Amino acid sequence: MAFRAFFSILGGSLPADIARAHGYEKAPAKRAETPREQPGPESGALQLLGLMQREARLIDFFLEDISPYTDEQVGAGVRSIHAQCQDLLRKHFRLAPVIDGVEGTFVKTESAGALAREPGAIRFTGNLPPQGRPAGGVLRHRGWRADSVALPAVSPKQNLSILAPAELEVE
Amino acid sequence: MRYFGIDLGTTNCAAASAAPGQDAPVEQFAIPQLVAPGEVFAETVLPSALYLASGDEFPAEALELPWGGGTRIAGRFALRRGAETTGRLVTSAKSWLSATQAERTAPILPPNAPPGVERVSPVEASRAFLEHILGAWRHLHPGEPLQDRCVALTVPASFDEVARQLTQRAAEQAGLPELILLEEPQAALYAWIEAHPDWRELLKPGDLILVVDVGGGTTDFTLIRAAEREGSLELERIAVGDHLLLGGDNMDLALAHAAAQRMPKLDAAQFHALWQQCRLAKEALLEDPSRTEAPLAVAGRGSSLIGGTIRGKLQREEVEAILVDGFFPRVGSHEAPVRRRRAALAELGLPYEQDPAITKHLAAFLRRGGELACPTHVLFNGGVFRAARLRERVTEVLNGWLAEEGRPPAQVLEGGDLMHAVARGAAFYARARNEGGIRIRGGIPHSYYIGIEAAMPAVPGLKPPLKALSVVPFGMEEGTQAAVPGRDFALYVGEPAEFRFFVSSSRKHDPIGELLEEIPEELEELAPVEIRLDGEPGTVARVTLEVHVTETGVLELWAKGLPGTPHEGRRWKLEFQLRRQRA
Repeated sequence: MAFRAFFSILGGSLPADIARAHGYEKAPAKRAETPREQPGPESGALQLLGLMQREARLIDFFLEDISPYTDEQVGAGVRSIHAQCQDLLRKHFRLAPVIDGVEGTFVKTESAGALAREPGAIRFTGNLPPQGRPAGGVLRHRGWRADSVALPAVSPKQNLSILAPAELEVE
Repeated sequence: MRYFGIDLGTTNCAAASAAPGQDAPVEQFAIPQLVAPGEVFAETVLPSALYLASGDEFPAEALELPWGGGTRIAGRFALRRGAETTGRLVTSAKSWLSATQAERTAPILPPNAPPGVERVSPVEASRAFLEHILGAWRHLHPGEPLQDRCVALTVPASFDEVARQLTQRAAEQAGLPELILLEEPQAALYAWIEAHPDWRELLKPGDLILVVDVGGGTTDFTLIRAAEREGSLELERIAVGDHLLLGGDNMDLALAHAAAQRMPKLDAAQFHALWQQCRLAKEALLEDPSRTEAPLAVAGRGSSLIGGTIRGKLQREEVEAILVDGFFPRVGSHEAPVRRRRAALAELGLPYEQDPAITKHLAAFLRRGGELACPTHVLFNGGVFRAARLRERVTEVLNGWLAEEGRPPAQVLEGGDLMHAVARGAAFYARARNEGGIRIRGGIPHSYYIGIEAAMPAVPGLKPPLKALSVVPFGMEEGTQAAVPGRDFALYVGEPAEFRFFVSSSRKHDPIGELLEEIPEELEELAPVEIRLDGEPGTVARVTLEVHVTETGVLELWAKGLPGTPHEGRRWKLEFQLRRQRA
């Protein structure tokens, strides 16, 4: 299921059954119903990259040599990138912790709800038992899961490999 | 079958729907729209921005929506693209609908369009937003078609009849000729009622609710009274304010101009980015009293992000001075807004309010009858009031006035979704209207007058004095009609006759047919109304006037041939002319 969810996420939506398993009867995103070619994982990745560049100039930022600038200059730039990326995440993904508990306290695996039995949803670290699955442990990181993804529906003719167009200003 | 509510806002549109049955919840309708060429995404608001792309600007498929396409783009992408180009973006179309100086059905927008570039009329722009929303609904809910009378569209309470008719016309062109118009502040109160099923316990007879609605582009005041009628609590809208072109966009723009003065020269797109950042910075500062400043950063245009970033900040004192004290100053209840006389030949543009002090406009509104109207409750609406500081300031100023009158402080009605309440309330109202739920009574919120020249011998250079005949009394209810008694008019057939037309939102007690010997100051002249009686030119028809308020809240003036004359039994409709003539 995780595999299917992963590819659906890249494709832009979560299958209804998976969404339901996480307590979402109705996926909030409405998709265009026009039939189009099944996009591969690359197109989802490219679309997200393009979106992050458009909304937050993320590629400009990552590929810029920031060594000549002071921390203050970098900080000022990052502040807006941070705000815009956060907006983008909130708008297009519904994210929740895998285990909604207090980090540093003991939790049982059942706290992960429907994901408790899901391989890959919980990573055990530290002093593992010789065999068998531990019943719980100290929560070090709550984990993240995407409950729904709503990326813009893209026209099939759109060339997603153009992440940002060149800009020419006509004077 | 769904009931549908549309908030056609100055800066943002929103929509909501409700299933039949009093208990079914009202649901927000997320509106799919272009967010980039070839990308469609649903958002809770549709920015009221219309971008007029040239034929070659984008490949046709890049502008396609799942239900259609074309070079007129509405919403998020329109707003973004409009900041990158010159003279192709239409915004604030709704404010133009009520601009009496402008030719409102003529293609005048965008006003800065270069020669040869397409323009649209304010009506067409409004129609484009409506068609977008309706198209989206039909596409996503093909099994739940919208019926005319089950759709409510909101307008500012202060919209005059011409602006209402133009809105109706836009709806008609979008395929909903019988849609119901609802005043925005009322819609906000319906949304509050929807969120509080026990509202009858929260209000009592005699309570007076003040709705303060500051949208992106307009400010609207309304007073609603709770009264007991046949044993149950009823609501009646008793007053609406004048149309104030003053809103949240003006505030953010004022901040952006202040911040830009301390920055290197910004181009249009950068200034637009700064404007958006100022809105966020404003909300952050007004939300958290411990912060003294909020950073602003405008990215450079080139691909060097950090190197090109222009930095700045917004100080708390600045926001306090410009916004809180500039737009919501502490003023006495006797202070009237400053109205300077306009130059006779003003530049063609929107008649923005000259005094930005919203509290002064509020004082003038509450003092209209001479005595201060004393509200017991306040309901805030509009995105501006997401800033708690601004809600507190208005409450503080209002309660100061009430204390002077020896009245207890007004209570704030909490719990509204400030951005979407109007659309939700409209859907709620559409259902209440069809299924018999609570309805705020009110009728037409203005009284109307026709100017009549006194009969006197012509004297060169002297205009005969003008009298005003009341033709529509304040509060005339929907679905009613009345005749102007005791007066008939002689009109030439075959040529247009024009009536000068006046409106007042403060004179409430002139019965129909009352003749005012002089035009009182609180009457505002509107565009003239015109009638053309067909028939043999040169003959005279004698008619009486009748007023109808349709079920959907639209005012109609009719002329009827007088019994016993050759035109007996005939009727003609008087048409509002859309442009005020220069006197």
